[in-house]
Amino acid sequence: MMANNAGAEKKGFGWPFWIMLIFYLVIIVFPFIWILITSFKQTGEIYGNNPFSIIPENPTMQHYADVIMEKGILRAIGNSLIVSGVTTVYIVIVATFAAYAISRFDFRGKNILLGIVLAVSMFPQMIVIGPIYNLFIDLGWTNSYWITLPYSSITLPMAVWILVTHFNQIPLALEESARIDGASAFQTLYKIVFPLAAPGVFTVAIITFITAWNEFVLAITINSNSEYHTVPVAISFLRTQFEILWGQVAAATILVTIPTLVIVLLFQRQIVNGLTQGGVKE
Amino acid sequence: MRKMGFREFLFIVPILLLIGIFSLWPVLQSFTYSFFDFQLNDRTKSGLYLNERFNVDLYKETSLYVDRFISQDMETITGEEDKANAEEVIDQLNSLDEEFDNEEGVITISSEQKKQIEAAYENADSTVQTLADNYELQQEENLPLLVEDIKNSLIESNFIGFQGYKKALQDHFVLDALKHTLVFTFASVALELVLGLGMAMVMNQGIRGKGFIRTTSLIPWAIPTAVAALMWSYLYDGSAGVVAEIFSNIGLLDEPTDLMQTGAGAMTAAILADVWKTTPYMAILLLAGLQNIPGSLYEASSIDGAGRVQNFFRITLPLLKPSILVALLFRTLDAFRIFDLIYVLTGGGPGGSTETLSVYSYKVMFGQTNFGYGSVVVMIMFVCVAIISTIYVKFLGTNIMDRN
Repeated sequence: MMANNAGAEKKGFGWPFWIMLIFYLVIIVFPFIWILITSFKQTGEIYGNNPFSIIPENPTMQHYADVIMEKGILRAIGNSLIVSGVTTVYIVIVATFAAYAISRFDFRGKNILLGIVLAVSMFPQMIVIGPIYNLFIDLGWTNSYWITLPYSSITLPMAVWILVTHFNQIPLALEESARIDGASAFQTLYKIVFPLAAPGVFTVAIITFITAWNEFVLAITINSNSEYHTVPVAISFLRTQFEILWGQVAAATILVTIPTLVIVLLFQRQIVNGLTQGGVKE
Repeated sequence: MRKMGFREFLFIVPILLLIGIFSLWPVLQSFTYSFFDFQLNDRTKSGLYLNERFNVDLYKETSLYVDRFISQDMETITGEEDKANAEEVIDQLNSLDEEFDNEEGVITISSEQKKQIEAAYENADSTVQTLADNYELQQEENLPLLVEDIKNSLIESNFIGFQGYKKALQDHFVLDALKHTLVFTFASVALELVLGLGMAMVMNQGIRGKGFIRTTSLIPWAIPTAVAALMWSYLYDGSAGVVAEIFSNIGLLDEPTDLMQTGAGAMTAAILADVWKTTPYMAILLLAGLQNIPGSLYEASSIDGAGRVQNFFRITLPLLKPSILVALLFRTLDAFRIFDLIYVLTGGGPGGSTETLSVYSYKVMFGQTNFGYGSVVVMIMFVCVAIISTIYVKFLGTNIMDRN
């Protein structure tokens, strides 16, 4: 499909097209390049007379050493991996069962359930934060990995939505023949549907992981102890220090962008699928 | 389609529990908060108290001392009437003591009991006043303070009904925050749509390096907003920031420091950072829509002699409308709820000029620990979000739900 409409529109696009494309790429990439350069500059140079030179005068790894040794950025990355990993695993399981039921079973209140899922994805996150905070204080769950549970309010709706679309695309005939052969609902799901739905499930896992990795409000409110800081929270605390050391900010930004970059490079196809199926495709 | 039995019902139990506990219950709870003057830093308001309450411990201690101090002076009080009054006060306090003999701590009381306590307080107050005027009392300074404590042992209900909403609708912080939110939402979404559509059309050309462009586009979307915000706060910095320097060199700013230190500058900076982060996402959503438009339509219209501009308005836009509306819906809601970016980039400053509803409600809830009023602001946001969604869903028709 791509090929034939591209062919139709291709002719006639000359240099304005290329300029726009290059401009776009430069704007996207430039901040990262600049941060990378800054991360190797000495503090004196960043604030000095010539703060905008492209090549660091005396390249240094000091900022990287500082954020790793003093600011515990590796610990934050570890916390983020734990929190996002746990969230991804349980959300994928819960969403898969729910989406399968929505797609395959006939039950009362199905549209209400879907409506609620859609509504939850729309309402402001601020609305859950007060009660969740008080609940966690009462239960003594602040500064712990229990924070993964309220992450469901931001990850579950999207996961269910994408998976329902996926299951709807898998033909019923396969499952019906499995049922005729006497398989239970769980067996059908496990042996027939899962393998077929694997790409969709994987897409959901990636999107869920990224969403959980990027979550900020719950993390900064509930896990305020620096031992439990996730990446976004740890990064935001570099800003609110008494003095802002841009060299450390730059080094930290580069370090925490690496995991994201790896995920994007490896799974860009799944990400794009997830993004577009979460919206509209057909 | 299989009917749902018990075994099938198990499939949806986990989602019902999770959504129920961590999404729906908090919403209802926030709604409840908004009707109370609920403040964690004030002990008399640090919960949701529908009824009047009575601090029995405080009362018992106080009445003991009042009783003792007045009794001490009984000799001095010579007037018949004053003596009778003083005795009446002591009797009243003692009868209340007996009534609450078995209670301790803070308890809920009926309005009848509340009236009794208030009457006792008023009587004690006026009597002590008169006594102090007419006689030389041993505890003349302490007695009025003790009598005040009788009143303090009554804790008012902190249920305030719609007063929080009334206050919010007249609160210029809320109105300003709403204005900032609308400006931010409108400007960033409009820019993102135009630029995103342009980029989607560029990417839709059959060019080499498409994978590279797509990967590059995904990175701003994929990194945490807080990280992007901090990165931009460096680029925007008045003395060390390269973007502020460039803006001032090309004449957009008088001084590089103006960018983050003036209200308009900071708002522009926040909008541009958001545009940087989400235009690629918009482009990817719209690209998916573009790829579904059959190329044959363009071929046919070219044969009919249509130009590229005509093609765009007659074919691309109408066929892309559902994709555009869905992308706009998601983006508008995201922009309206914006928190991380502003909180980290400007903190709502300078002087509150970039404070959005989310940032303001968060500051009220967790800066001032005023959950009641913070929830009022959140509920106002909730209503706005509902209105925005309804408008878009009307435009979209029902086809979001119909797909399932």
